[in-house]
Amino acid sequence: MRYLPSSPVEDQALLDAIGVPDAEALLKGIPEPLRLRRELELPTQSAEQEVAWQMLAMANRNTRFCAQFLGAGAYDHFVPSAIDALVSRQEWFTAYTPYQPEISQGTLQHLFEYQTLICDLTGLEVTNASLYDGGTSCVEAALMAVRVAKKRHTVLVSRGLHPLYREVLQTNFAPHAELNLIEVALKDGVTDLADLQAKLSGDVAAVLVGYPNFLGAVEDLAALAGPIHAAGALLVSVTQEAFAFGWLEAPGRVGADMACGEAMSLGNKPSFGGPFLGFLAVRDAHKRELPGRVVGQAKDLQERLGYVLTLTAREQHIRRDKATSNICSNQGLVTLRANIFMQLAGPDGLKGLAAQNAAKAQFLRQRMLELPEMEAVEDQPFFNEFVLRYRGDYSALEAACLQESLLPGLDLGRYYPEYQGCILWCATELHSRSMIESLVETLARVPATV
Amino acid sequence: MFLRQREPLIFERSVPGKRGMDLPRLDVPEARDTRPGHLRRGGFDALPEVSEVDVIRHFTRLSKWNYGVDDGIYPLGSCTMKHNPRLNERVAGLPAFTDSHPMAPEALVQGNLELVYTLQAWLQEITGLPGVTLQPSAGAAGELTGVMLIRAYHLSRGAQRRVILIPDSGHGTNPATAAMAGYDVVELPSQPDGTISFADVTDPTSGKVRKGLQTLVAELGPEIAGAMITNPNTVGVFEYRFKEISDLLHSVGALVYMDGANMNALIGLARPGDFGVDVMHLNLHKTFSTPHGGGGPGAGPVCCAEKLRPFLPVPVVVRETEEVREGKGTAHTYRWDWDRPQSIGKVHTFFGNFGILVRALTYCLSHGSDGLKAATLRAIVNANYIRVRLQGAYALHIDSPSLHEVVFSDTLQAKHEVHTLDIAKRLIDHGYHPPTIYFPLIVPGALMIEPTESEGKEELDAFCDTMLEIAREAEEIPAALHHAPILAPLRRLDETTAARKPVLRWQKPAVLPA
Repeated sequence: MRYLPSSPVEDQALLDAIGVPDAEALLKGIPEPLRLRRELELPTQSAEQEVAWQMLAMANRNTRFCAQFLGAGAYDHFVPSAIDALVSRQEWFTAYTPYQPEISQGTLQHLFEYQTLICDLTGLEVTNASLYDGGTSCVEAALMAVRVAKKRHTVLVSRGLHPLYREVLQTNFAPHAELNLIEVALKDGVTDLADLQAKLSGDVAAVLVGYPNFLGAVEDLAALAGPIHAAGALLVSVTQEAFAFGWLEAPGRVGADMACGEAMSLGNKPSFGGPFLGFLAVRDAHKRELPGRVVGQAKDLQERLGYVLTLTAREQHIRRDKATSNICSNQGLVTLRANIFMQLAGPDGLKGLAAQNAAKAQFLRQRMLELPEMEAVEDQPFFNEFVLRYRGDYSALEAACLQESLLPGLDLGRYYPEYQGCILWCATELHSRSMIESLVETLARVPATV
Repeated sequence: MFLRQREPLIFERSVPGKRGMDLPRLDVPEARDTRPGHLRRGGFDALPEVSEVDVIRHFTRLSKWNYGVDDGIYPLGSCTMKHNPRLNERVAGLPAFTDSHPMAPEALVQGNLELVYTLQAWLQEITGLPGVTLQPSAGAAGELTGVMLIRAYHLSRGAQRRVILIPDSGHGTNPATAAMAGYDVVELPSQPDGTISFADVTDPTSGKVRKGLQTLVAELGPEIAGAMITNPNTVGVFEYRFKEISDLLHSVGALVYMDGANMNALIGLARPGDFGVDVMHLNLHKTFSTPHGGGGPGAGPVCCAEKLRPFLPVPVVVRETEEVREGKGTAHTYRWDWDRPQSIGKVHTFFGNFGILVRALTYCLSHGSDGLKAATLRAIVNANYIRVRLQGAYALHIDSPSLHEVVFSDTLQAKHEVHTLDIAKRLIDHGYHPPTIYFPLIVPGALMIEPTESEGKEELDAFCDTMLEIAREAEEIPAALHHAPILAPLRRLDETTAARKPVLRWQKPAVLPA
């Protein structure tokens, strides 16, 4: 076995030193009736070449596309070459959590820079070293808001939040009989202010709103913040497409008290949904209720500046059942990809890319609306995703697109019965004009349904 | 190794007008600005203006202050820092995997579904448990999923149970998880050998009596939802009465959760499904070699007994086998089953940390049944070799063979006022990453060493020689160890002040009036 650095002679030397005839002699602590007295019924070991071929064959059973017009929480953006080159350095990808700061300053300084940039994007003051993904970031944000608000037990969730984020919220709220998770309806594709006002009460700890929401629409956080703050609740903005931070004002500057969501767009590929990058940024006053790892500045014995994991009194390895969360790991290497991406992009790159995304999406929408089967649904401002009603049959459209190696937008009816027959489209900087034209031409050829 | 003493924060290197990314030509009309004025993105305070050269050098220099598995033995107990095969990285980077979209129709991602199905089949056979979900993103997320399965099971039988039992030797994530799942935690005391105590335990100093398993089960019986037990435990010892423990818990209707953080000591030797475990998690980033990445991403699949299967998170992968005509054998297609009325729901937005699953399956295929078992045995031999070489110089917590890790305490060095922290920091000066320290909590001044199967005799000897030298230093020049490390880029850091006056991000220095 190529990963085991031992020779038979060395093996014997180890056993001799221990004073046992074989490894079996070291297993006496496992009671005999509990031992597995057969080999595992699995294939035996394989050469690197054999495994490489087997895995390549498996990968190739996925269908490849020239262009994907599907976003819905997983976005295809260009990934600069520097990212893969840097993260493949063993010092980054094989290292452990930086519990020993003197030998982990690389990871710690990176995380300090990453935290700084997430605060910059969101316009908030404190963030952690990441959470698992967008859905679980909503759970942590909602539970944190309940801790911060004290004696309030209700969390309102806009129906515009990613439907799968809402499912993850439901799963995690189920064990807490004392907490309520209540949905706020949509009106014209954005959170319904009247419904929100009706549901706000002294028991509401927080309101979670998509920014932009799942339908691509830009929610006016400032307008929502008024009634939410008047009720003494916290406004939590949930951003599933981090590129929007280059187009829309930072949530912390327009009324959000907390910002969470998904930042996979910063330097990652869709990767079948993971590993992704959950984030949660909050106000300074709330920092001791933050879940997860946090890196802070420290000085060494010679007053030199360095970085350490800090505020650990919140965490499971210290507080056990009184911890702010059970989270132990973070999305380390994904934060590194995001940090490198943000540094390469800089302020102009991020704004420029965002403007290109908006331009491509607007162009796609405009060209689509020239097709007789496509119809505008709402006229909300959007970033790089939007909804159109399709008068034809989605499966015929899908078949035609697949034939041209194009992945179409999402059939919304599955998640929103009220949007039956509607499609959620996405375009990014990766979509050239010719790809967009070829999609529109393909759609024009879809046979009309009977 | 450390070429530069200091690499400034990237923000300090920012120079207006530099750029690290050139945008592609825009081939469509510029975007019309439909944003309400107050929602237009304003300025950034920190995003730096730097070139690609600056960024590459910045992260390359920073990387040199880290210690990685390729630098040498990484003896963190319980963390299982084994070799990260490069094939796994290459396979995980295949564009056919990385480009695939989680919302794409099943028919277009058959390779991904086959991967999920195949990895699940391996984990089923390895653990002896028939139900598997790969959705949890990490060990702690797996624990939470597992405890929610236990909760759903009891609820389906009309029972509201409120207590989870957890040994005092358990990982901090166990009690934190139980609390997050809405349970009260009751601690189980350990006996001196680190295993769970059936009898009550009297604390020798305070005289306080802590109820043992038997008393707790008798008193709390129908209130106990389950117990979370790490096996082998955090002292590296198999809970030798595991079957009795699980029988006792089952007798009052409670379920047994196994924290599988140490499953790398059991693969091919014993299967949790065969000794009474109802549900457990695995850490793919420990046992199955997926890289730790400086803290993540991990993956924490959950395996469970038949009776818990209906509650697994949605969706569940299903394989359908079709007879191919003309005697050509069978063909498989895969689909997601979302119609699971008793499911606890989703625990990850999509299907978990898929890229990590790719690496874990690659690891499994490379090793095979024989390689997996050989790795287990090798890890156990390595840990015992360290035990034998260091005993005498360091106080052993338990004087009997351990499995994959060995725990020492600092009692011999404490006589010279040298403590575990000093030993750990001194190892850095010698070019090693320290072991896990001060865990498990039941061992005073714990030094928990796990060499894994990835170390050969040469590396083990070099590490042990260094540990013995440090033991000598502790006797001869104890004061010097208090100053360690002296050869790292930084000396010991003041973590107390860092927590008291936290600085958690860089801020643009205020411009002072002239």
